Amino acid sequence: MNDTVVVRGLTKTFYDEGRGEVHAVQGIDFECRAGEVFGLLGANGAGKTTTLRMLSTVLAPTAGTATILGRDVATDAIGVRSRMGFYSASTALYPRLTARETIEFFARINQYPADKVRERVEFLIERFGIAKYADARVDKLSSGMKQKVSIARTVAHDPPVLIFDEPSVGLDVLNALEMHEVVREFRQQGKTIIFSTHIMSEAEKLCDRIAIIHGGRILACDTLDRLREATATRYLEDIFVHYVRGRG
Amino acid sequence: MRWATIRVLWAHELRMLVRDRRTVVVAIVLPLVMMPLMLYATREMNERRRKGLEETLYRYAVTGTEAAGVRALVAGGLEAVAAADAADPAIATLRKFRCEEIRVDDPAAALAAKEVQFYLEGLSGAEADTLPPEKEAAKDEEDAAAEAGPEAAPKRESVLVDPVRLPGVPIVRIVFQGDRDSSSAGRRSMRDLLAEARRAGRDAMLRERGLGADPAAVFKVGESSLASAAQVTGSYIGRFLTLFLMMFMLTGGSVVAMDIIAGEKERGSLETLLTTAAGRGEIVTAKQLAILTVGAVITVIQVANILVYVTFKVIPLPENFVLEAPPKTVVTLLLLFLPVAAFVACVLLMISAYAKTYKEAQLYFFPVYLVSLVPPLVAVLPGVSLRSIIALVPLANVSVAVREIMVGRFDWPMIGVVFVAMVAASAWTVRQSARMLSNERLITSGGADAADLAGGPALFPRHVLAWYGIMGAVLFAVALNVPQLATFRRQLLFNELAIFTLFPLLMIGRYRLNIREALALRPVHPLAWLAILLIIPSAGLVGTGVFRLANLVIPVPREMLEQFSRELLPKGMPIWELGLFLSVLPAICEEIAFRGTLLHGLRGRFRPAVLAIVVGLIFGLFHVALFRIIPTAFLGVVLTTVALLTGSIYPCMLAHAGNNAFALWLGMSGRNTGAMAWWVYAVAALVLAGGFYLLYRVRTPYPGLRRNASRQP
Repeated sequence: MNDTVVVRGLTKTFYDEGRGEVHAVQGIDFECRAGEVFGLLGANGAGKTTTLRMLSTVLAPTAGTATILGRDVATDAIGVRSRMGFYSASTALYPRLTARETIEFFARINQYPADKVRERVEFLIERFGIAKYADARVDKLSSGMKQKVSIARTVAHDPPVLIFDEPSVGLDVLNALEMHEVVREFRQQGKTIIFSTHIMSEAEKLCDRIAIIHGGRILACDTLDRLREATATRYLEDIFVHYVRGRG
Repeated sequence: MRWATIRVLWAHELRMLVRDRRTVVVAIVLPLVMMPLMLYATREMNERRRKGLEETLYRYAVTGTEAAGVRALVAGGLEAVAAADAADPAIATLRKFRCEEIRVDDPAAALAAKEVQFYLEGLSGAEADTLPPEKEAAKDEEDAAAEAGPEAAPKRESVLVDPVRLPGVPIVRIVFQGDRDSSSAGRRSMRDLLAEARRAGRDAMLRERGLGADPAAVFKVGESSLASAAQVTGSYIGRFLTLFLMMFMLTGGSVVAMDIIAGEKERGSLETLLTTAAGRGEIVTAKQLAILTVGAVITVIQVANILVYVTFKVIPLPENFVLEAPPKTVVTLLLLFLPVAAFVACVLLMISAYAKTYKEAQLYFFPVYLVSLVPPLVAVLPGVSLRSIIALVPLANVSVAVREIMVGRFDWPMIGVVFVAMVAASAWTVRQSARMLSNERLITSGGADAADLAGGPALFPRHVLAWYGIMGAVLFAVALNVPQLATFRRQLLFNELAIFTLFPLLMIGRYRLNIREALALRPVHPLAWLAILLIIPSAGLVGTGVFRLANLVIPVPREMLEQFSRELLPKGMPIWELGLFLSVLPAICEEIAFRGTLLHGLRGRFRPAVLAIVVGLIFGLFHVALFRIIPTAFLGVVLTTVALLTGSIYPCMLAHAGNNAFALWLGMSGRNTGAMAWWVYAVAALVLAGGFYLLYRVRTPYPGLRRNASRQP
């Protein structure tokens, strides 16, 4: 039982004034292990972000459970969040703080031991190569620099579980490659990484296991090799189409 | 609640604010510099104007058949002023009035050419009798023009000094140019001078008829106030203290509040914050404390600013201004203001949490600001006592308590009640604002979604309230500005047909709504009609009981009610016409608007119970008169509940028509339902409950109502 993230029957139903009930996520199950990159692969609107928002406790599940290191997202939200780092294209930084202040603020707010905060901040500044602009305000930084600061603030409290929601959206090739490098490094450190994407090559390169999500349901969940075997196709794009069209 | 986390978040909010130079300059530095400059400039300009007018030599001409008499009057007036007691401020002012008559052939042309400031026209009694009667309003209009000053629209006008004139009495008419400052000022002084001449003449006549004493000294009026100067000052300040505190806290707190959640949502940093280990309650508390801190600091700065102006006499204080603030007063005021400040911080936070963007938050702020300032104004109303139901009305209760405390009246039991009520209200708003950060729709940024893209019926629920806002604005604007519609029939026809029928039809067309669904044109169970017959009289009586209850909190003057009845029931109108205008038309048209398109648009936004209250309240607000809102909102809730249980507009139309006809019959037969015994209302409430029970048993619920799923974030 080394599953760090366990999701069982997770469901989210919205009520939209114009459309009535919308079943964004419909009873999904999966689990992730330490030292693993778990990919959530799906088209836009498939339910990836809603699932990750439930795991990060921003949204409350309509039904089902999800636990992170044994903490339930519905009953111990703070316990979950203090063990988790959440990165997405929509989680922005504070423009009027410096890079150093940003990392320090997130370390403190995430309960990193107060006496070790400075040391941790300096380590991350060094690790991500942001020493040159550590005291510049975030709004003055380029998007590549902001990305580094964003990742540093995500791991400021050294969480064992990391959630990356479409992290490559809006990044150029070099910055996207750097992001992949960072994810691999975190995997080597033994962290659990949930990585959502709609880019097939990214999932192919990074993920140890891939869950194909469509219409709020997980259609398949396994390693890339086994998915290839099961569908008798080589490329992830074909595997994805196989499941999605097969469903449709 | 971890206070270390709250401290980190609070310090973070303040650091963000201090680093926003534009906000700091606009909110703190600019008022500090601009206020004294503006006050100084205004004072200087007024002083210069006053001196200029005082030093002016007013030139005037005299004309008319009684010109000689007018000249004698002016001379008599000047003599009377010279002889009068200079201690009288009015006489002192008149003594500074310098005037000179110049001879001109055409006084009107001379006035137009600015050769004279005004001219006097003397008319004999016989001439005056041939003139058309002067309207009383003319004097009011002239005074209003004088008050408005030289900026007012140019207006040439001549009026009588005294509007009440007996036959045969001559007239001295002052003709002036109301759009010229010096002409208006000269006319005012000349009017006072002529009044002084008239007074002197009257006194002389009385003496000639043998009155031994000075006519002005038939008896003397003396006065003495039992209140000390400090109490008088306290009474003056106490009336406005809560209001000003609210104004400062709202404007000061808004500097940080508008950005504190709405700005974060817009930038995307709120979601970042919500995925940290900080609890929602801790985030809300820190944000409330930040608003409170900034609001308090800006309030202190503004008060200190005012004190500086007072010290340097930029703001003059009234005579006998004695402000006493013993420790007991200060501590009690602080205790009462603390929950008020917390309340303000929460209200501001809720605006910020509700808005999607900073700009949207600013848009919401202004109406909330205006509405928030209404309750503290209660302290200005005469006759509102702390020992009344007002002690339970948040903000209004504090304003009245502060007024009492400032004159040294410490009614401790009632101050305790006020404190508890205000703390309870603040605690409720704290809780509500904390819950807003758990509302998924409010915390996640929502851009264009499926409804925006689909348009049509999917978009209608989002726009429906804006449509009713426009309807309300048109209704009010037309009622206030189109006198041609200010008759009973025209006003009613316009409201019912142009507002309550045409607008819903426009909405149906614009959003391509299915007319049967939008207007709930559905058949109902036959027994529902029986339930409606029970509901009609019982709802009317219970509504009157609700009005009586509301009257305990906000008493409505009897004259207002009588005037309303007079206007609503015009004399001489046949019964069929009254029935048509007051019962049938409103039942059809208003139901189309409220239980039709409004209910259809809002059906997915609120749960059924809240939906009934919201639709009922909007229905009440459209009935314009403030005192009618509660009873009409009650009727609105009843009718909406009928619609929710039957899923149809038809029973609502019958219930509405029946209710209005019942009220009309009561009014015409002279029965006073407002004076019935309370048990009558209790029995009516039971019958009403029975009617609804029957309706519930045969219900055909309104389709598409919101259930328990969370709303689309």
